[in-house]
Amino acid sequence: HCVLWTKEERYSNIHEYQLEHPTRVIEWTGEKNVCVAGYNLSKNEILELLLPLKLFADDNQGLCAERDFKVVHGGFTDGSIHCLKHIPGTRCVVTNDGSSSKLQVWDVGGDDCDVIKKTGDIHLKTASLDKGVKIDSPLTGNASVLHGSQVNDIQLTELTSGTPLYTLGTDIPDVLSSLRFVSGSVFLACSVNGDVYVGDTRSPSYLQKSPAGGREGNHWCMGVRADSSLPEPSSCSVARLSSSCQAVVSDLRNLKSPVCQAQLNVQRKTTSDEFLIVTWAPALDNCLAVSGFDGMVQIYNTASWRPELMEFQPIFIHRGHMMSDAHFDTSSSVVTTHVWHPSRPWTVLSAAGDGSVHVWDWVDNTTASC
Amino acid sequence: MPEIKVTPLGAGQDVGRSCILVSIGGKNIMLDCGMHMGYNDDRRFPDFSYITQQGRLTEFLDCVIISHFHLDHCGALPYMSEMVGYDGPIYMTHPTKAICPILLEDFRKITVDKKGETNFFTSQMIKDCMKKVIPLNLHQTVQVDDELEIKAYYAGHVLGAAMVQIKVGSESVVYTGDYNMTPDRHLGAAWIDKCRPDILISESTYATTIRDSKRCRERDFLKKVHETVERGGKVLIPVFALGRAQELCILLETFWERMNMKAPIYFSTGLTEKANHYYKLFITWTNQKIRKTFVQRNMFEFKHIKAFDRSYIDNPGPMVVFATPGMLHAGLSLQIFRKWAGNEKNMIIMPGYCVQGTIGHKILNGQKKLELENRQTLEVKLQVEYMSFSAHADAKGIMQLIRMAEPRNMLLVHGEAKKMEFLKDKIEQEFSINCFMPANGETSTVATNPSVPVDISLNLLKREMALGGPLPDPKKPRTMHGTLIMKDNCVSSLIFFSDFGCPWLEHQLRFTCRVQLQDAHSDSDTHIRIYTHLKSVLKGYTIQHLPDGTVMVESIVIKVSSSPEEPNTKVLLLSWSYQDEDLGSFLSTLLKKGLPAALSSM
Repeated sequence: HCVLWTKEERYSNIHEYQLEHPTRVIEWTGEKNVCVAGYNLSKNEILELLLPLKLFADDNQGLCAERDFKVVHGGFTDGSIHCLKHIPGTRCVVTNDGSSSKLQVWDVGGDDCDVIKKTGDIHLKTASLDKGVKIDSPLTGNASVLHGSQVNDIQLTELTSGTPLYTLGTDIPDVLSSLRFVSGSVFLACSVNGDVYVGDTRSPSYLQKSPAGGREGNHWCMGVRADSSLPEPSSCSVARLSSSCQAVVSDLRNLKSPVCQAQLNVQRKTTSDEFLIVTWAPALDNCLAVSGFDGMVQIYNTASWRPELMEFQPIFIHRGHMMSDAHFDTSSSVVTTHVWHPSRPWTVLSAAGDGSVHVWDWVDNTTASC
Repeated sequence: MPEIKVTPLGAGQDVGRSCILVSIGGKNIMLDCGMHMGYNDDRRFPDFSYITQQGRLTEFLDCVIISHFHLDHCGALPYMSEMVGYDGPIYMTHPTKAICPILLEDFRKITVDKKGETNFFTSQMIKDCMKKVIPLNLHQTVQVDDELEIKAYYAGHVLGAAMVQIKVGSESVVYTGDYNMTPDRHLGAAWIDKCRPDILISESTYATTIRDSKRCRERDFLKKVHETVERGGKVLIPVFALGRAQELCILLETFWERMNMKAPIYFSTGLTEKANHYYKLFITWTNQKIRKTFVQRNMFEFKHIKAFDRSYIDNPGPMVVFATPGMLHAGLSLQIFRKWAGNEKNMIIMPGYCVQGTIGHKILNGQKKLELENRQTLEVKLQVEYMSFSAHADAKGIMQLIRMAEPRNMLLVHGEAKKMEFLKDKIEQEFSINCFMPANGETSTVATNPSVPVDISLNLLKREMALGGPLPDPKKPRTMHGTLIMKDNCVSSLIFFSDFGCPWLEHQLRFTCRVQLQDAHSDSDTHIRIYTHLKSVLKGYTIQHLPDGTVMVESIVIKVSSSPEEPNTKVLLLSWSYQDEDLGSFLSTLLKKGLPAALSSM
């Protein structure tokens, strides 16, 4: 029976897929393409998928019956994939297995062949060998990748030559949870204990620290919303999410004093913090999505949040990953990741530990619109 | 080297025309005979010239097998059998046999009457074609002839769809046709046993697709119906027959109940008759396992769904109507469409593919103005929705099927090999089997390693047993001596018999052997030298020197010949019958060593 139906229209579109193996990465490689990859300990697949054409048909949606994912490219990896980043302007992605200091570089491929080929490895000199590496890539400039497992080993490496272009000069050993560019050269690094650092790849000595300041929770991650195509970030919202379900919103220009915060209405189903993720909707204002506590993706509107800590309700909850299909017991399935479409305002993709991947356009039924 | 050859016929890579030739154990089988629905010229038919340049196909094919009634799998069948010419057996399941001619006739009517084509099969041809059909039951082995046998397996997908196993001796091929691995409301999932075919043939497009869930498709359908009814509009759903229609009816009924909907739902009486016929076909054809997944429901026991009457077309207010035919090319569904098309509050939901030339096809292509036969134009203002409900396997499903059947090789049709390297690698790595991807018109040759069953004569068996020795050990094969008879390069029953005492043996077996010698003597001198040599070596044997020079040892004949180009090289031709095999071998070995130089003629 039809469990998705309620009197109120919650989704304008929804698609649900079942991969053979679960993924914990979803990365855009084009307006209609994403890459996913497995995280088994040994052999895994990387896939580039084309989203269903019906989603993009807009006015002609009625005439398009195509609802399926197409596997356009695929490749094999010898290890797990915890982190996958697309290098803008190229057909390149960079991956890390979450437990070593090696980055793998891949060519996703063109029209003539469906194989995703590994083109090389970048061996990093990292302080810790088992924490896994976070990756990001600047939107402009030559193909390069910013990586780090701890604050003191953050480095920008040029892809083709493997030459280090920038190394952050510091000895802070804090483990990183997120790394994000906010412009062509300014980036933010969030450590697991909640401190946010601002760096600039043009000046290795520049580092600004904004401590978490006595916040609860032993694991923090960060989500950033900025127009990163600008050389200097004019405004940038930084959200930090803690493992005790607190969210703190700050502005880049004044990271030390948060704009607002909230205690999120979440019942944690899992004790692991590895899938915690907070993201801003790129094409909506004040819209935050969180996942990794359980089988749901929650969307909040931060416009109503206050500087004092208060509890707030989400404006939308995607529960699809908790529904059990006839063959799967998904009651314990955790959402491993979610992403927003870069330009379609309400389109979200989410994945869970049972191998499900959902593509959904949610409807904002609240009076205060996002 | 035994091998199986597979050739997908036709030009172009696109899915849309299934017709595959298989050569196995000396037999030629055609799998499906579909029409490509996108072309209007000869490209829509498979390219039969691959089989023979001209003339009938009967002598080149041992049988034709049709997997299910969709036109891209059977649409070219009457053309092939009646216009190109084929009189051999055509196999398909009972429901396929019942439904095929209906679809073919509809298709013919549309193509000839509506599009005015002339080079097309006639109604009589469809009838003549169907007379050649032999129906199949599930899991029942059918002997096409002494060597070729076939068996149908349940494929899901549509009513009557089958996957087929073709077997000659110990070589076999399984063709999947269209299938699905997840059950839906009225069809079960495909199933096959661990039959370990040499080749499993399937569609490459499945392997590169990840299908959206049934729940989401159904949700979309219900949402569209609900929206239309809520704004006071009417929903028309043209359907062909029960299968899909019943599934949608069950969906709507449940939804109507839960949402407390008041608008009426109707199905047309034409559909009712077809539905009963269809329902009976289905129940008698399926086996226990599948019957359990079928929703046991009498079509007429829906609480919210009633029989339609033509007079209701003009009733005000919202309603939902299921009507035939499915492509809007005639009949009630077209009549309703003409009345409702002009109102933008209304909706039409097309649950399947429509053939070119039909109104269904035109509106699915976005056409907003239609020209009717009385030169009137019809404005299409209602909302048009194309929804695909057909059940197909996907990447995950294909891997499941391979795991079920355990083929030795995989073969995927309708894909471009150079664009499918990842897929090929995936299958090869996961199952350690080869994956072939022939283009249309290209042949893939798959080497097989069949075990050859052999009959052994009782005499030989007794003799071997009488020889005594240790008890037979399965780990230590024991050599036996005998003669193997193979008929026509055939791998079926071979006879392995012993020496004397075979009264039914008509042929005399003689072995021959050529030995080259360097000998400068004349032919006749060489004969004498051979004779002398053998007489000294083989004491106790009857050795003769015949007047024509031939030397005979027992029944073994030795002749010398030489060619004018090489006078110093002699060729000795030895020939002996089976009984003298040991002696014959000895002599050929002896003579290969050459003749002693200092031999004087006696």
